[in-house]
Amino acid sequence: MIERILLFIMIIVGFWGIVTKHNIIKKIFALNIINNAVVILFVLEGSRIGSNAPIMESGITHIVDPVPQALMLTAIVIGVCISALALSFAFRLYKITGTFDVREIKRQVHHEA
Amino acid sequence: MKKIGTRIFITLGLLPLLLVLLPLFLDGTPWPVAVRNYLELNGVKDSGAINLVSSIYLGFRVFDTLGETIVLLTAVGGTIAVFTRSGAILTDGYYNSNISALTDSEKQMLLDDPSFTLAGEKRLSHVLRTHLIEVVTGVLGPVVLLFGFYLMLYGHLSPGGGFQGGVIIASGIIFLALGNRIGHVNFLTRALVLERIEACAFLLLVFASVIGTAMGEGFFTNPFNFIPGNPASFIVLLNIIIGLKVGAGIGFLCIALVGREIV
Amino acid sequence: MIIILLLFILMLSLFVLNTKDLLHGIIALSAVSLLIALLFYLCNAPDVAITEAAVGAGVSTIVFIGAIRYTERRDK
Repeated sequence: MIERILLFIMIIVGFWGIVTKHNIIKKIFALNIINNAVVILFVLEGSRIGSNAPIMESGITHIVDPVPQALMLTAIVIGVCISALALSFAFRLYKITGTFDVREIKRQVHHEA
Repeated sequence: MKKIGTRIFITLGLLPLLLVLLPLFLDGTPWPVAVRNYLELNGVKDSGAINLVSSIYLGFRVFDTLGETIVLLTAVGGTIAVFTRSGAILTDGYYNSNISALTDSEKQMLLDDPSFTLAGEKRLSHVLRTHLIEVVTGVLGPVVLLFGFYLMLYGHLSPGGGFQGGVIIASGIIFLALGNRIGHVNFLTRALVLERIEACAFLLLVFASVIGTAMGEGFFTNPFNFIPGNPASFIVLLNIIIGLKVGAGIGFLCIALVGREIV
Repeated sequence: MIIILLLFILMLSLFVLNTKDLLHGIIALSAVSLLIALLFYLCNAPDVAITEAAVGAGVSTIVFIGAIRYTERRDK
């Protein structure tokens, strides 16, 4: 139960980071933190119903649930792909406007439009 | 006044999120055990792999893996497209330039830089390496590649598989790129080679999905199901294809991101 | 044991978001991934642990450093 509360606090910290921070790279850090928290939640909940790793050597019983582990493998690799794509857009924004600060970019876009 | 107004606004904005997520986290329903019981009894028989996680993402839920490879292809292509259109150039390694094209003053400046030369090393090709990079990346690169291939091939008998082996192969390719001398390019760090490997691996995955239909079994199933005694050869083949795709894709992405910039 | 690791992870995540030097934030993010890999090993999930260690502490760090390399490193 305490683990679930700590993971809930981590998700709230991630969302607070996306909303509050003015640097684009900090927003991408917060996105990564939310991804990590959700992955930990699934694997932790799936590991409560057993006590052995899901490798069926001879004589192993009472294994952990293998389904959330298989899903989280895909989720981790997709998370790093999303971070890379978001960072490429941040790089392009820096080349066009010269700053990572969201308020400065907003001001420049309003001046041009 | 404006600062207090913004803070109240942010708190009121995050409050609905709190109220929606909190009952989810405090819920007391037990985790269902039906799937674990079924897989414990029948998992090895149905797919032929001892590692149950491999049998799930390559046997029972192989559509998710197909979708993941498509997402990887899109992300790598999109990142490199946006990067190269914003002023970075694709290099074939970490710092490859023609040694004979540098002027004499540039060569002297590189040789005199005190922070990067090895002790007593005055050859121009070895200048931009510290002791740490020389020992760790140059020597350990092929070892990490070997470990990645081992993890990829033994995915059905021990912890490992396509994704795990693939990202370690990507780390090995990055080691090879970082540990090179100036002006020397490895075969596995060329942009052209990595592109071709990734594209061919994706094509082979699409072929492997259709073979099952051609042999009358179904989409993405083992084509040799009529042989009694379930062999795990289809799972090994899928592991190799996914490992090569993930490794080449992520390796290409990382080498493109540390490339040189047009100043 | 799991609760202590989760407390460490939470504190390091707060440090990542509140530091003024982006390179310190990237290295702390890599440390968070290492602690998460240890947590996955303690939860009997070896496959996920290998993937998280290789991806989080390797590839993700390089991708982030590639983005701040030719741009600015300080957050005002």
